[in-house]
Amino acid sequence: MTGVVETLSQSIVDVGWLAIFTIHGLILFLLGWTLIIRRLRVSTDRRRQEMVCIWRPILAQSLIEAPDTLPSIHPRDRLLFLYLWNHLQESIKGESSDALCAVMRRTGMDHVVQYYLTKGTLRQQLLAIVTLGHLKEQAAWDRLGELAHDANAFRSLEAARALVRIDAPRAIPVLVPLISQRADWSPLKILAILQGAGNEHVAQALGEAAVNAEPLIAARLIRFLGSIRSHRALPLIRPLLVRQPLHEDVLASCLALFGQCSDPRDLPTVRQYSAHPTWFIRVQAAAALGKMGVEEDAAILIGLLNDTHWWVRYRAAEALSVLPTMTDDKLSLLVQTLPAGEERHILTPFVAKRFETSLSQNSGLSAA
Amino acid sequence: MSTTETTGKPTLFMAEDEEDTASLLKFLLERAGYHVIHAPDGHQAQQLIDTMAPPSLVLLDIMLPHVSGLQLLPYIRKKTEWQRVPIIMLTADSSEHDIQQALAAGANDYMVKPFNPRELTARLSRFLKLAA
Repeated sequence: MTGVVETLSQSIVDVGWLAIFTIHGLILFLLGWTLIIRRLRVSTDRRRQEMVCIWRPILAQSLIEAPDTLPSIHPRDRLLFLYLWNHLQESIKGESSDALCAVMRRTGMDHVVQYYLTKGTLRQQLLAIVTLGHLKEQAAWDRLGELAHDANAFRSLEAARALVRIDAPRAIPVLVPLISQRADWSPLKILAILQGAGNEHVAQALGEAAVNAEPLIAARLIRFLGSIRSHRALPLIRPLLVRQPLHEDVLASCLALFGQCSDPRDLPTVRQYSAHPTWFIRVQAAAALGKMGVEEDAAILIGLLNDTHWWVRYRAAEALSVLPTMTDDKLSLLVQTLPAGEERHILTPFVAKRFETSLSQNSGLSAA
Repeated sequence: MSTTETTGKPTLFMAEDEEDTASLLKFLLERAGYHVIHAPDGHQAQQLIDTMAPPSLVLLDIMLPHVSGLQLLPYIRKKTEWQRVPIIMLTADSSEHDIQQALAAGANDYMVKPFNPRELTARLSRFLKLAA
């Protein structure tokens, strides 16, 4: 019996020692591993810093005059070089951009970028797409055109942007059908692409596409026209309002476009829809009146302060405070004459905001 | 006393937080013959404004950490010695509201990023000539 107990105790002690050694071994292994990773990280950071210190002045100098010699780029530094180069490209505009393109070609990195485009990882491919756009590389047009149809929204959007950078007039007819269809494309990114393409090219193509599109797509396209304030598209879009049946989303986006463009010829139409039975049409009409209205439109907006829908009252109050003919004195008088209910309550924050802006502008001017 | 008189070169005070852009601007401006004093954020800009002699020109980014360019503008303009210093605002986008606010608060001009390096140096030298 005593022998069995002793053997059991010895086994427990053995297991305990084994556990202690294993834990210590693991701790030492993790410590060693952490030190190795840290050392690698420090060495990578140092290498990157050296690369940046060498290339940043060279790239900056190339904006003024072409450098006589260029250092070679180690394969492991290629991505970092491309980041630096693209960042600089996006900080400048004008003829300096061509000087940077010349550096890219002299280093031979344009061939590397072509390789990344076809055989690279997603990260390398995205970087290649952006670079080829800045390089205005016509030879990559077909491949970028294919990538603009890619299922991955990041890849396709960057390819679309690159196409615009290479040749905007040629890219817009390719991109407008995609803009109509791709619900996964961020509207803000689409807007940035359209602004990069220049309003002249965009307005006609988007306007024509909107006229022939289904109502929901047409509304989406017209909203983009509004965001780029495209006056050129107005003659194309106005006839949509006499079509029957007129889809309410199309009508709302047309009113937003009219407000952004503020063409006086559209004022009667906007006024007419301020009494529309659908609340979001009245919202757009009120917002548009705030941008393009004249003195007599204040009465319409004051009437909308009493609307049954909160958003209409809110937009009407905002519109009153920014109406082109509205002065600080008129607005103060208006607030005092309104009954002390919802109408005055909803207008008050906008009045305060307007006065705050006036105050900060006046104080800035007097200080100057 | 303007710092132009102490260094021999016109001094340009630049407040820009974005490291790459600041480095590019510093390179371009030094090549164009300016002595550049750089503040990487609004706090440091404020400290430098308090301690340094008024420069020949100020280049101020609108979006700065801690204290924005729009907040620094009235601060600069309230200083008697700095009131006549031309201030050019740098803005990352052409936000009309920011630009209006900056001009109303005493900025003399603005430039939208991305910028054309030649245009930037041409504008700066125009302001220097006007101020001379």
